[in-house]
Amino acid sequence: MLMGEVIVVTSGKGGVGKTTTTANLGAGLASLGSRVCLIDADIGLRNLDVVMGLENRIVYDLVDVTSGNCPFRKALIKDKRFENLYLLPAAQTKDKTAVSPDQMRALCQEIKNEYDYVIVDCPAGIEQGFRNAIAGANQAVVVTTPEVSAVRDADRIIGLLEKEDLREPKLIVNRYRYHMVRHGDMMSIDDIIEILAIDLLGVVPEDEMVVVSTNRGEMVVTNNQSRSGQAYRNIVRRIKGENVPMMDLEEGGFMRKLRRMIGLK
Amino acid sequence: MTPDWTGGNLVHFPGKGGGEPEEIGDENTILIQRTLRSGQSISFDGNVVIIGDVNPGAEVVATGNVVVMGYLRGVVHAGAGGNENAAVYAYCLQPTQLRIANHITRAPDGEQSYQVGPEVARIKNGAVIIEAFQNGPERQR
Repeated sequence: MLMGEVIVVTSGKGGVGKTTTTANLGAGLASLGSRVCLIDADIGLRNLDVVMGLENRIVYDLVDVTSGNCPFRKALIKDKRFENLYLLPAAQTKDKTAVSPDQMRALCQEIKNEYDYVIVDCPAGIEQGFRNAIAGANQAVVVTTPEVSAVRDADRIIGLLEKEDLREPKLIVNRYRYHMVRHGDMMSIDDIIEILAIDLLGVVPEDEMVVVSTNRGEMVVTNNQSRSGQAYRNIVRRIKGENVPMMDLEEGGFMRKLRRMIGLK
Repeated sequence: MTPDWTGGNLVHFPGKGGGEPEEIGDENTILIQRTLRSGQSISFDGNVVIIGDVNPGAEVVATGNVVVMGYLRGVVHAGAGGNENAAVYAYCLQPTQLRIANHITRAPDGEQSYQVGPEVARIKNGAVIIEAFQNGPERQR
């Protein structure tokens, strides 16, 4: 019997890219052949279905499943692009108290028997929604941006995760802008790691393509031209246990190389 | 809630030859005079009339007909409970998902219809059909 991993994607602060990260990790893992089930735990403010372009397929949701109205297989939505990627959408017209941590634990236990990876998209905050999302997880990915407030919240979240026995969470730094870091206007990776002291899973550079893909219901991880897509592909391979070196974060890396080649620099 | 001041929903049309009183509307109807936003939902045993929009993420469920005098962009379910004669009328019909009785439909991927003007969705020959709203006798089934 398969015994998949349940990974919760969390951050504390809102708007740092939990949902985008969840969608891209899911699509990335599915493109490498893993069976992946995404769970949107953000009840009342669901977004994952919109980001993946699956909103119009929703009939049953997480609350229908946890309250026993329908079996989870019936509520799962198959992705448009990947055969082995499924989504369990959140309910939009209910609130976070409609689900309990015990129900989530039981659900994750059930789903992970059939999937290689179950990825839970956690809501912002540290209240019940957060406790629901982490209840069934056995691994955590903390997403932050290079801002003092986001890092502060990530630190708080790591503390709460450790209390819940989710030790050794992994860090993804999102929306990293190399030129701002170089000018000392943004926290560097080293600054962030120094504070949070956890393993770095990857760094995703700021990329307009993320906005474009998200609005189209596509995932940037499938875009071979995009730098953030490359970053997500690297992260996915690291999750699968490969040792992938950190990508060159310097912007315009190609132009720089070209200039060096023709002897301008 | 049957309003009994109409005489038990029976209205007499003296002009129609003075015959038997004609029965109209046998269901309850609720009037909603606001826009339904994401996360809001209406569930009603009867017809629902909305003066306003139904935004994406909002949900309207009615055992009877649904009429939206505005943009219908959320999820709508008319004839919940199995009434295949129920219909959805909207000034601008662009639902995320449209359900009538036990039928579920959605717009095809990548296609965005920009049909202007009121439309009606109902079941014809076992399938949900959307057509321009026709005033006059044709709208009656």
